[in-house]
Amino acid sequence: MSAVPAPARGSLGPWLLLAPLMVFLAVFFVVPLAQVAVMSVSDPEWGLGHYAEIATDGFHLRVLADTFFTALVVSFCCLLLGFPLAYAMAAASPGWAAVMMVVVTMSFWTSFLVRTYAWMVLLGTRGPIARVVEWLGFATPELLFTRFSSTVAMTHILLPYMVLSLYGVLKRIEPSLPRSAASLGATPSSVIRHVVLPLAAPGIVNGLTLVFVLCLGFYVTPILLGSPREQMVAGVIGQQVEEFLAFGEASAMAVVLLASTLVVLGLYHRRFGLDRLWG
Amino acid sequence: MRLALILLGAVVLAFVATPLLIVVPMSFSTAVSLEFPPPGWWTGYYAAYFGDARWTKPTLNSLGIAAAVAVLTVALVTPATFAVVRHRFVGKGLVNLALMLPLAVPHIVMAIGYYAFLADIQLLQTFPGIILAHTALSVPMAFLVLSANLKGFDRGLERAALSLGASPARTFLHVTLPVLWPGFAAAALFAFVQSFDETVVALFISGRDTETLPRKMFDSIRTTADPVIAVVSTLLFFAVAVLVIVPVLWRAASRRRLEPRP
Amino acid sequence: MARTGFSRRAALTLGGGAVAGLATPSFKRLRAAEVLHVNTWGGIWERAAIKNLFEPFTRDTGIEIRPVSPVSFAKLAQQVRSGAYEFDVTTLGAGEIIRANQANLLEKLDNTDLVKSPPFAGAAFQNGASSHAFATVIAYQKAKYPNGGPQSWADFWNLQKFPGSRCMQRYASRVLPIALVADGVPMDKLYPLNISRAFTSLDRIKPAVRTWWTQGQQSQQLLRDGEIDCIALWHARTLELIDQNQPVEIVWNEAEIERAYWVVARGTPNRDNALRYLEASVRPDRVAGFCRDSMNGPLNPAAFNFLSEAEAARMPTAPAYRGKVFEQDILNFGGDVNAATQRFERWIGT
Repeated sequence: MSAVPAPARGSLGPWLLLAPLMVFLAVFFVVPLAQVAVMSVSDPEWGLGHYAEIATDGFHLRVLADTFFTALVVSFCCLLLGFPLAYAMAAASPGWAAVMMVVVTMSFWTSFLVRTYAWMVLLGTRGPIARVVEWLGFATPELLFTRFSSTVAMTHILLPYMVLSLYGVLKRIEPSLPRSAASLGATPSSVIRHVVLPLAAPGIVNGLTLVFVLCLGFYVTPILLGSPREQMVAGVIGQQVEEFLAFGEASAMAVVLLASTLVVLGLYHRRFGLDRLWG
Repeated sequence: MRLALILLGAVVLAFVATPLLIVVPMSFSTAVSLEFPPPGWWTGYYAAYFGDARWTKPTLNSLGIAAAVAVLTVALVTPATFAVVRHRFVGKGLVNLALMLPLAVPHIVMAIGYYAFLADIQLLQTFPGIILAHTALSVPMAFLVLSANLKGFDRGLERAALSLGASPARTFLHVTLPVLWPGFAAAALFAFVQSFDETVVALFISGRDTETLPRKMFDSIRTTADPVIAVVSTLLFFAVAVLVIVPVLWRAASRRRLEPRP
Repeated sequence: MARTGFSRRAALTLGGGAVAGLATPSFKRLRAAEVLHVNTWGGIWERAAIKNLFEPFTRDTGIEIRPVSPVSFAKLAQQVRSGAYEFDVTTLGAGEIIRANQANLLEKLDNTDLVKSPPFAGAAFQNGASSHAFATVIAYQKAKYPNGGPQSWADFWNLQKFPGSRCMQRYASRVLPIALVADGVPMDKLYPLNISRAFTSLDRIKPAVRTWWTQGQQSQQLLRDGEIDCIALWHARTLELIDQNQPVEIVWNEAEIERAYWVVARGTPNRDNALRYLEASVRPDRVAGFCRDSMNGPLNPAAFNFLSEAEAARMPTAPAYRGKVFEQDILNFGGDVNAATQRFERWIGT
């Protein structure tokens, strides 16, 4: 731990400090990851058979397409819901903003499983929503184990990421900007459309990227309350390993999932730089 | 339009809050099934949770594992953070990127990787195996938190101490650490929570004796929708509440303390 | 000052100590050589097993038995491959025992009494100890069908006459025969199965199947919570709900009888104790007690000496149901069970 000013370039100091972590990651992160890649072309025998199957087999393509589509839907739902909330938080008085921040932060820190369970209660046939619908005179709705239940739950779970991204950006907008636009004659909606939104664009892209990438790899929620007919790729990968010990096939799907994630993140990095994503 | 947005924001806030709150009354419900509103109230399921080794053991396992992960993560990340923040060297950008990598990989991919890897080195379903895997996954967040803290640190304080004759080690202990400890605590906390809540990898690499709480919850939700899950969820909810609200109150209190008295 | 080298070194030693201390499972495994881990289906099944099979075994041998849930064929395969054993003994149905033998996942029973001097014909089947018979029956919500629900598998398939959601077990060798019966194949002409015809039949009911259950408790929960209108689940779970005055109805017509077997995972370090357990589990008095409490039918004929007429009447193997129910003939499946299972899993996801 050097408390002295940075030494000249090329010194050994930083590398010694980095060594423990880098070695650790090399052994306990890179090796397992590499093993996945290797298994995808070596289990049960060497060859690109699994990838060929993924590219041509209807089932795999459908699962991947479903996953991408769902991730897109969830991302945009998060945006549509998250923007008003972030806007309200940025515009509210400090007291109210703190309260809203507490709620969002609590949701952010609450485990996926707990929130998924909560949605199973909410959407069940004996849950509050079903009771209200029945009370209104309609037939008991069957909301669980559908694409709807899965999407709603995932949106709820990923919403804090979007809100926090947007809030950070909205809060940083100089209040004088919208005010001067208004004083120059712009209507409130015009101000939002032409001043706030463009300035919030980095946060929007941030949020969309983060939510999309997280949703691509989502495992828990689709399995617990999604439809068995619209499985997402993470669930299929898990099932291949757990049920059939088909490591090769599962690894190939995993590599495809990882590649898709890295492509999205890579595009983001090219344009904005990755450190901004989680900053 | 502005008003519409704010009203919509309030509705969304209700959307965010409701599922969190609903687990609390569920934990006091007498129903065996997922019924809301509950038909009756009792604390029987709390007794069931605290009295059942099949729930308390995974809870203790998770607590122990998370604690070890927090310690190990901070131990590994701290020197690396100092290196990245305070030194200039070739390849720094790449190192930065490499440290972020575990965040970019979906957990299911790591799960099957760890399953195969730990089985090969005979650490499958053991505590060390889970701790090592979780530590690797916690590194990015801990690094981000710690480097943010470290970047904001005023090095003038250190330089002052050094110029007054303190050794680097002493400076670190008496100047750097007292100022930075919230950063360490935050990084440790992030690592702890990450490990405690981690589900996907744990599903594949934890076993009968080393079962983690998320794995037990997942199996339980999947097979029985056991009402004890509501109890666990409520306890976790309150833990999170304390975690989030206490710093907020503390900051508000210290701000009030620093305000000039009339 | 003693506190040099800050929390990093302290943390590393602490961490090292914690890691070493937490590595206790390996030490535990050495000390607790007299513990057997047995897979159970939880709930009523597990309680019956503990009272009638596990506790007597412990009294006789001093070996402690710890129940492990959930039951999972996948876990059996995984643990044999990875060497990390979660259970030593598990219970399998007919379809799974075939797959397990094909994949060489089971300890052979050739040196046990079950094979060398079998207590009854068929005590050992495919390296499993024949324990009990159970039935997959139709159950439905009474409130949803006030004029009576489906009385046969063809009715279960009839979404016009009996609208509503369906649920079945995610278990190919159990569902495929049902699909054929629903399609009109006579119960005595089922095997060997026409697998393609079964899948075509399944396509007709697929839109109504909201979810596929995998655990006994889960099927019970779905029915009890009202999430599903009609479900194909085990008779004992349904009877339990009825005994609890839940508004559900059971249909014995065309029930599918299947057998359950105790098996030992291959390569488990507790092999000898596990095999002893298997031998003990088919003792007539114990099987009778287990079946009485779990409402299953014993496969050891001598067990009926310990059961009353009234108790026997509730079991799927009772004479009253003969002619109405059909039995699986797994050795005459009509194809590779594993391949059919793979195809079934694929079919579910599309």
